[in-house]
Amino acid sequence: MSQLTKTIVAWVLLIGLFLGVQPLSDALARERLIRGYARPTQVTKILQYDAPAMTGVIVGAMLGGFREVAASMLWMRTHSMWHSGEGTQWDALYLMRMTTLLDPHWLEPWRITAWHCAYNLYVETDDPAEKARMLQLGVDVLKEGISWNPDRYDLYFELGWTYFDKIRDYDEAARWLGAAIRFEHPEYVERLIAHGYERLPDIPMALQWYDYCLKRRPSDETAKGATITIRERYLPAWRLMEERRFDEAIAAVDQYLTNNPQSTIGLHLKAHIYEQAGQFAKAREQWQLAADTSALNHHARYKVSELSERMGLPVPEDATYLFKQQQEEMAIFRPVD
Amino acid sequence: MRPIFRVAKATFHEGWRRRFLNGILIFAILIIGSSWVFTYLQPGAELKMLIDVGLGSIRFFGMLIAVFLGTRLIPDEIEKRTIYTLLSKPVTRMQFLLGKFLGGLATVISNVALMGITFYIVFAIKAPQFAVPSAEGAPQYSMEFMYANVAKAILLSFFELAVVMGIAVVASVVFSWILAAIFTFFVYFVGQMSDFFGHLADPDAGASPVARVLLGAIYRILPHFDVFDVRESILTDIPVVWPYMAQTMGVAVVYIGIVLALGYLFFNQREV
Amino acid sequence: MANIALAIRTENLTKIYDVGWGRQHVGIDNLSLEVEQGKIFGLVGPNGSGKTTTLKLLLGLIFPTSGSGEVLGQPMGSAIAKARVGYLPEGPYFYEHLNAPELLRMYGSMFGLGGEVLEKRIRELLELVDMWERRDYRVANYSRGMRQRVGVAQALINDPDLLFFDEPTSGLDPIGAKDIREVVLELRKRGKTVFLCSHLLKEMEPLCDDIAILARGQLIIQGSVEKLLARDTANYRVEAMDLDDETLAALKERSTDLMWLDDAVRALFADRQSAFDAAAMIEDRGAHLLTVGPDRRTLEEVFIEAVGEESNDETDL
Repeated sequence: MSQLTKTIVAWVLLIGLFLGVQPLSDALARERLIRGYARPTQVTKILQYDAPAMTGVIVGAMLGGFREVAASMLWMRTHSMWHSGEGTQWDALYLMRMTTLLDPHWLEPWRITAWHCAYNLYVETDDPAEKARMLQLGVDVLKEGISWNPDRYDLYFELGWTYFDKIRDYDEAARWLGAAIRFEHPEYVERLIAHGYERLPDIPMALQWYDYCLKRRPSDETAKGATITIRERYLPAWRLMEERRFDEAIAAVDQYLTNNPQSTIGLHLKAHIYEQAGQFAKAREQWQLAADTSALNHHARYKVSELSERMGLPVPEDATYLFKQQQEEMAIFRPVD
Repeated sequence: MRPIFRVAKATFHEGWRRRFLNGILIFAILIIGSSWVFTYLQPGAELKMLIDVGLGSIRFFGMLIAVFLGTRLIPDEIEKRTIYTLLSKPVTRMQFLLGKFLGGLATVISNVALMGITFYIVFAIKAPQFAVPSAEGAPQYSMEFMYANVAKAILLSFFELAVVMGIAVVASVVFSWILAAIFTFFVYFVGQMSDFFGHLADPDAGASPVARVLLGAIYRILPHFDVFDVRESILTDIPVVWPYMAQTMGVAVVYIGIVLALGYLFFNQREV
Repeated sequence: MANIALAIRTENLTKIYDVGWGRQHVGIDNLSLEVEQGKIFGLVGPNGSGKTTTLKLLLGLIFPTSGSGEVLGQPMGSAIAKARVGYLPEGPYFYEHLNAPELLRMYGSMFGLGGEVLEKRIRELLELVDMWERRDYRVANYSRGMRQRVGVAQALINDPDLLFFDEPTSGLDPIGAKDIREVVLELRKRGKTVFLCSHLLKEMEPLCDDIAILARGQLIIQGSVEKLLARDTANYRVEAMDLDDETLAALKERSTDLMWLDDAVRALFADRQSAFDAAAMIEDRGAHLLTVGPDRRTLEEVFIEAVGEESNDETDL
């Protein structure tokens, strides 16, 4: 074979193999996602986020086989900073953020970072506006985490729990917990949704979810107990309220509140009935009572602020209220998550 | 065939005598051997940590060895002038190139096999402890799947490293070795992200048409190194099926074919 | 088949290197060489004159810009030619972790050699280059001379018909250089062609049958050593030392020309008879006779004449 022939053969081989490998490797790239050997990169989602996120993705990929380890190392460093009290809370937050960028499919850092913002940094300040910002940060971290891991229950639950426990926005909590149960999940998630609705309060919805829990696991004692209690104590009041027999409804709730004056559901339901009846001053008073009963009852505090605004009274500065206002403002600019 | 084998054998023996690579290997084995120590720092994610450190080290250090050995094989022959006595014998350039590639590959694979065995031992001892369900809802791992998947992940890294090695050897024929090493790192890292580039080139991603063509070209030309990474499957307890393995290995062999055809075209014209 | 007796033939062989940034360096320029089979051929010239470039072209290690060449009747660099060729590069290097027999085994296998035949050949060659006793040494521990010796052995592993030796004696001690020269002469005795490259003109002069002089990539002169060194006029020369004034005067009177070479005196005579007469006279008078014989030029003189004075300082004469 002459040199020229060999060169031509090499070129033909080269081009043939190159073209041949394309469909093969495309198929593999698809297959590994379908089979679950890797998680998909949610590029379109990332693009909605900031430039540091992009940089993180690229640096992360450049570390190649080692980026998960780099993330782990960084995470350890975060831990040691955390426990030794070295640096500020913000320094820790920065490291946490880098960790999430390095290994976005690792759920732990997303969870801890969000918790750090919404819980720890939240109590660092007394300024409600600052508190609202921390809530926002926590929620954003989790939403970004979800965009990376949309096919796992964990972060939906985490976000739902943050809304439920910290922000006490039971509507949003139900929305995210509802998203979480589309994936494999522990049974308490549905119960948590029901708990949210009873506190909102939305008694029929709460019952619906407890029933759902029982259908899934008939031996669920908590759900069974809750169903009985709600049916007995609060459903009659709710029905009366729906029939606009507000005084009777209030009387029905009061019947139980006298025995158990600190019942959150009772206090909320009573306030809700006043609200439905248009008696905003009484409703506000009732929400204030609930807020005073529990320091963590941000829902009640939010309702106080909301009603104050509606009634043209001075609005008490409340973190959850400010946060929800922010959410509404941002909803105008943000695409739907 | 015999000249290829002889060159490969000499390259293999010589490869194992490179202090620098011995250093990387020892360091890697130390890290892998002690990977379980790191897990104490990650309560709740011990298994993830173990796999990340162990398999991550194998891929990373294996890649380092492949790049630094691959890009030095032929330049060293030229620099030390050992290539003169070889190529003046009835050895074709292709035989020489193949011999160097296979000898270097044998070195890398034996290095990585040592790392793999170390990790396997650590994994076999430690993983059952970590896999015990500790809390409600913790996933129940099936150890047989995990052992098999770890072995398969290591096997796939052999093939991945073979492709990296081929690129390193051929790049060193075209560029100086430093440039070749940088080039190979670049190809490897970008190839790791091929999934990412593929998505960016998607019309939905909203990149400009020029950027899309560019990203698409990168996606097409560079090997998709991410297909060799099946680490996720170990933690999610999904068995890596043999058809996938076979297909991935096949793709690696085709990539090597492409690289060696390129090597033939470059090295045949290369003056030494 | 006209060139059956030629081991090497090149025609207008030209190699131009790209040095980068558009600059070029002429390695060799229009080189046309003919090397007869069975001869010791010397390619001489100062460093950088294109000797190694020529060798690499003939071995197919680099490729010509233009022109062509044949080695043993085959296109240069072809596998068939390489199978019958041996090459000792300048200052050869080998895989450092091997010892001499391992090295030769590797090289031998590339010619398809193996088994008893190869082992026997390895022993013969290592004995020839005086390395058999030291065969267990690793290349890493070799002296320059040992590397050169093993280099010769590897060049001979395939019992080649044509040998290329690049600066075979440079850097060797006198004994090493002498051993190599003996190997070269022995090879010619066995009918091999030896192609020597060197800048050591004095060493090439007694060794080579034919010679070509290169300077700055160009062929200056080519021919048999015998012819090149012979004077146009057939002179005879007498050299002597420790002459007293009387003898010196007598010598001056008889000779056609007389010159001092440090302590010695060189006298030239027009014919053989008067030269030998003068020599007898010198011996009679108790002075020290150094040489008597035909007055040949040295290769050095030929070289300087051909190249011109200015390249003199580039040459390690």
